[in-house]
Amino acid sequence: MLLELDHIYKWVTTGGRRTFLLNDLSLKVEEGEFISIMGPSGSGKSTLLNVIGMLDGFQEGEYKFLDETIHNMKEKHRSKLYKEYIGFVFQQYHLIDELTVYENIETPLLYKKVKSAERKALVGDMLDRFNIVGKKDLFPNQLSGGQQQLVGIARALISKPKLILADEPTGNLNSKQSDEIMQLFKQLNEEDGVTIIQATHSESNAAYASKTINLLDGSISKS
Amino acid sequence: MFRNYIKLAWRKIKADKMFSILNILGLSIGLGITLLLFLFILHEESFDTMYSKKDRMARVLVHLTDDESPETWCGSPPAVGSTAKNTIPEIENTVRFYHYAFGQPASISVNDKNLIEPRFFYADESVIDIFDLEFTHGNPKTALARPNTIIISESSANRYFGNDNPIGKQLNLENYKDFEITGVFKDFPNNSTIDCNTIASFQSTNFAKNPTWDNASFETYIVLSKNADLASVEKKISKLVSQEVSDPWYSLSLQPFSKIHLYSSNYQDSYSARIGNIEEVKNLSLLAVLILVIACINYMNLITARSQKRHKDIGINKTLGASTKSIILRFYAETALITLISILFSIILAIVAVPLFNQITGISINYRNLFTLQFIASLIIIWVVTSLIAGSYPALHLSRLAPQVVVKSGFKSKTSGLLIRKGLVIFQFTASIILIIGVLVVYQQINFIKNRDLGFNPDKILAVSIGAAENKNSINSLKNKLQNSSNIVAVSSAQGFPGVDVSGRSIINPLTENGYNIKTNNADSEIIEVLNLKLLAGEKLPETKAKNDSIVDVILNKKAVDFLGISPEEAIGKKVQLSLGNNSYVKGVVDNFNYSSLREGIGAYAFHNNATREFHNYLLVKFRGNDIGGVIEEVKDNFEDFIPNSAFQYSFLDKNLERFYTSEKRMASIGLSFSILAVFIACLGLFGLAAFTAEQRSKEIGIRKVVGASVFKITKLLSLEFLFLVAISLVLAFPLAAWLMNSWLQNFAYRIDLNWIIFIVAGVIAIFIAIATVSFHAIKAALTNPVKSLKTE
Repeated sequence: MLLELDHIYKWVTTGGRRTFLLNDLSLKVEEGEFISIMGPSGSGKSTLLNVIGMLDGFQEGEYKFLDETIHNMKEKHRSKLYKEYIGFVFQQYHLIDELTVYENIETPLLYKKVKSAERKALVGDMLDRFNIVGKKDLFPNQLSGGQQQLVGIARALISKPKLILADEPTGNLNSKQSDEIMQLFKQLNEEDGVTIIQATHSESNAAYASKTINLLDGSISKS
Repeated sequence: MFRNYIKLAWRKIKADKMFSILNILGLSIGLGITLLLFLFILHEESFDTMYSKKDRMARVLVHLTDDESPETWCGSPPAVGSTAKNTIPEIENTVRFYHYAFGQPASISVNDKNLIEPRFFYADESVIDIFDLEFTHGNPKTALARPNTIIISESSANRYFGNDNPIGKQLNLENYKDFEITGVFKDFPNNSTIDCNTIASFQSTNFAKNPTWDNASFETYIVLSKNADLASVEKKISKLVSQEVSDPWYSLSLQPFSKIHLYSSNYQDSYSARIGNIEEVKNLSLLAVLILVIACINYMNLITARSQKRHKDIGINKTLGASTKSIILRFYAETALITLISILFSIILAIVAVPLFNQITGISINYRNLFTLQFIASLIIIWVVTSLIAGSYPALHLSRLAPQVVVKSGFKSKTSGLLIRKGLVIFQFTASIILIIGVLVVYQQINFIKNRDLGFNPDKILAVSIGAAENKNSINSLKNKLQNSSNIVAVSSAQGFPGVDVSGRSIINPLTENGYNIKTNNADSEIIEVLNLKLLAGEKLPETKAKNDSIVDVILNKKAVDFLGISPEEAIGKKVQLSLGNNSYVKGVVDNFNYSSLREGIGAYAFHNNATREFHNYLLVKFRGNDIGGVIEEVKDNFEDFIPNSAFQYSFLDKNLERFYTSEKRMASIGLSFSILAVFIACLGLFGLAAFTAEQRSKEIGIRKVVGASVFKITKLLSLEFLFLVAISLVLAFPLAAWLMNSWLQNFAYRIDLNWIIFIVAGVIAIFIAIATVSFHAIKAALTNPVKSLKTE
C-alpha cells in the first residue's frame, strides 16, 4: 500500500456556508498503479492531488502515506516525505525561467544535497533518456510546450520518486504532444514501476491509465 | 549550493533589466551619498590627530565674566603662557601664537617682491617641538632661538624663492622690520587647526618683552607632563589670574586639544578658519543614515513589486524540495549581490563627486581615504548591514509562503504586505518633503539676510589694506588724491569695518559701575559718510586732531547709549569710560547697524580717534557707477604712487559680509543636492509600488475596461490611490518640518517667519512628482488590452 485516504473532508467557508471541496472521500493507491482522476471543472481533482501531494491540508479524515499517518505530522517532516517520494508535474510546466534545461532538472538534487559528480551523472542519464541532450543549455522560453513538459517530467523523475502527481499534464499541449507524454507515463509506469496519479479532462488520456476514478462535487462517484 | 544562488541571482538581475537598473541606481546613489558624507565625517574627525603630543595638549580659553553678554575667546593674554610654564610644574611646555596685526594680512617684501601673506604668525620657539615641525632646510633646534628670525613653510618658500635655498635670506615686514629666514618646514596638513605660512620668533614682538595680563589676542597652547591631570592644572591656571590681576575681567579655562576643531564654533577670535561644527557633523550623519534607509526601503519596494512572479518561483522551488531556509538564503544572496554591485558603483560615484563636493563645501576631502583599511572595513560593514536590512523583507516575508500557492489557480497574494509597502512609501515621502521644506527655508533665510537693511550700506565699498604704509602722511595724500576723483564718493581710513574684527573693550555705566562689551574702531571723520550710517545726535569725528591733543572723541551706537541709560541727545559731550583714556567724550551717536553676522544681535559699538591705541589698517573707498574694474585700477595706481613698497590688497565690503553665511550656504547646497537625490530615490520607490499595484490589479483593470471604463477613468483610479499616500506624507511632514526648521531658525537673531507658502510649494512639488511618477504605470495599465490580463487567469 502506497497511500490511503480515509473519509477525507475538506471545505471552505464562504458567506457563513460551507462549500465542500472534498466530501467523505476515501481512496487506496497501491504501488505501481496508474490512476486517472476525471471529473468536470470544480469537482475537486486539483484539490485531491494537492492533498495527496501534501501541499494542502484537510479538515477531517485520515491520510496514511507508506503506513505513516501524515495529517498530524510536522511541516518539516512532511516536506521531507514529499521531497523523498513525490514528484510533481504541472499543466503550466512551472519550469524556473532563469535556469537552463540542465539546471532545472538538477535543482531537486541540489535541495537534496546530492554530491556534484553524482548530480552530473543523474542529470546526464535523464537528458539521454528523454532525448534532450542537445537542448540542455537552452532556457525554458526557447522550448516548445511539449518539450517544456518533457523537462518538467524529467525534473519530477530526477529524485526517483515513488509517486508522480500530474495535474492536467497535457492541458496546454496539442494532441500529438499529448500522446507522446501519455506514452511516456505509461512506459514509466510499466518499466520503472513508478506510481502515477493524473488529473485530466480527456477521455483518451484517461484511457492510458490502469484505473480511472470519477470525481463529482468532491466525492468519488460510482461509475 | 551558494554558487547556485549567486548564479540564479545574477540571471534574475539580467532577466529584468529595468527593475535591476532602478534598484542598483537607487542603492548606488544612496550609498554614494553615504560614502561621501562618511568621508566628510572622517575628515572632520581626523582633525589635529597628527601631533604626537595631542593627548596632553590643551588650549587656553578666556571667558569674559563680569558683564551682561558672556563671550569666550580663543586668544589669551601673553603673560599666561610664559607665567604658566614657569610656575606650574605639571606644564611641560607652552606656545603662544600671535597672528600678525591681530589677524590682518601682512604685506611683506621678499626676494624683491611685494607680497600679501595672510597667515603671518609669531610663535614661541617651542612651536617646533610641540607641533612636530619637520624641517627641510635649517636647524630646528636653533631656528627661532634669536629675535628677528623667521621660518617659512615649504609652499611659501616655493612661492617666494622658487627652487633657491631661502636660508639666510631677508624677509621684510610692512617696511619696518627685517627677519632672517632660518628654516623651512613642511606645510601643516590640511586637517590641522593650526595653519601658519610663516612663523617669526615671538621674541621679535614687543609683547614678548613685557608680557601683560590684558590684550587677550594670543592663542596659547600648553603641553602637560605625562600623567598630569587637566582639571587640576586648569585650577592652577585660573588661580594665576587672581594672583596677578587685581580686578580680573576674565577667567581662564583649558580646552582639550581634541575638542578644538569641532567644539569651538561658538568661540570668538580663533586664528583658524578651519573651524568645524559638531552640529553640522551630526546633522550630516543623520542625513547620511536617512538617505541610506530611504534607499534600502526603495530596494524592498522594488523587489516586492515583482512578488507575483516571485510567488510562483518560490512555490515551484518548494515543491522541488527547497526549505524555507534555502529560500531565505537565496533572497539574501540576491540582495547581497545587488548591494555589492551598488557599492562598486557608489564608490565610482563618490570619487566623481568628491571634487564637486569640495567645491560646494569649500572643504578638501580626499577620495583616497576610500581605500584605507579603515574605510574598506566600514564598506564591508555597510555592505553586510545594507544587505541584511534591504533583504530582510523579501527574504523573511516571501519565504514563508506555502508551496501550494503555485498549484492553486485562484491564488491572490495577500494585501498585508501591501500595507507595509505603503507605509514605506509614506516614510520615504515624508522624509523627502521635510528635506524639500528644509531647503526652501534655508534658501529663504539666506535671501532674507542678503536683502536685510543692515543699518549701513555695504555696497560699492572697497577696503584696501594700508597696514604697510610707512607714515600717516602718505595715507592722507592718497586719501586726498582719491577724494578728488569723480568715481569716488568718499574715502575713510579705519582700523576695521563691519565684517572684520575690531577691538573688544568694556564700556562702564558710571551709575551702576557695570561693564558691557563694546567693539571699538579707530576711524577718521569720513567713516559715517562712507558706511552711510545714520547720525542720531551730535556730529562726526573732527577732521583733524593735533598730535598732542589728549582728548579722545567717541561716536557711540544707539545700543551703547541705551546701556548708559540716556538718550542720544543727552549723551553728547558726556565723558565716557571705555578704556580709551580718561579724556574720552561722546561726540556723536549713530543708529544701530549690523557690524557682524546676523546670527548675533547688535551689541555696543564705538568709533574713536585715539591714535595711540590702534592703527588704521584699511582705506575704505566708497565709489559710484558700475565700472568696478576701472575704480580698482584707479585706486591701485594711486596706491602704488603713494605707498610704493607695499602689495595692493583689497576686498569688497558686501562680499566680505557674505562670508558669515558660508556655513549656511554650504548646508543649503549640500541639503539641496542631497534632497534632490533623496526625492529621486523616493520616486523610484513610488515607481516600483505603482508597477506592483498595476500588476496586481491587472485583472480588475481588465474587467473594468470590458465593462466600459475609459482610459482616463482607470488612470485616475490608480493615481488617486498614490496621491492619498502623498497626502498622508504631507500631513506627517508639515508639523515635523515646521518644528525642525523653527529650531534651526533660532540660531539667527534676525530670521524669517515660517511661511505657509513654503509648505504649499513643497506640497505641490511632492504631488507633482508623485503624479508624474505614478501616471506612467497607471496609463500603461489602462492602455493594456484587457484580453491579455484576463486570459492568464
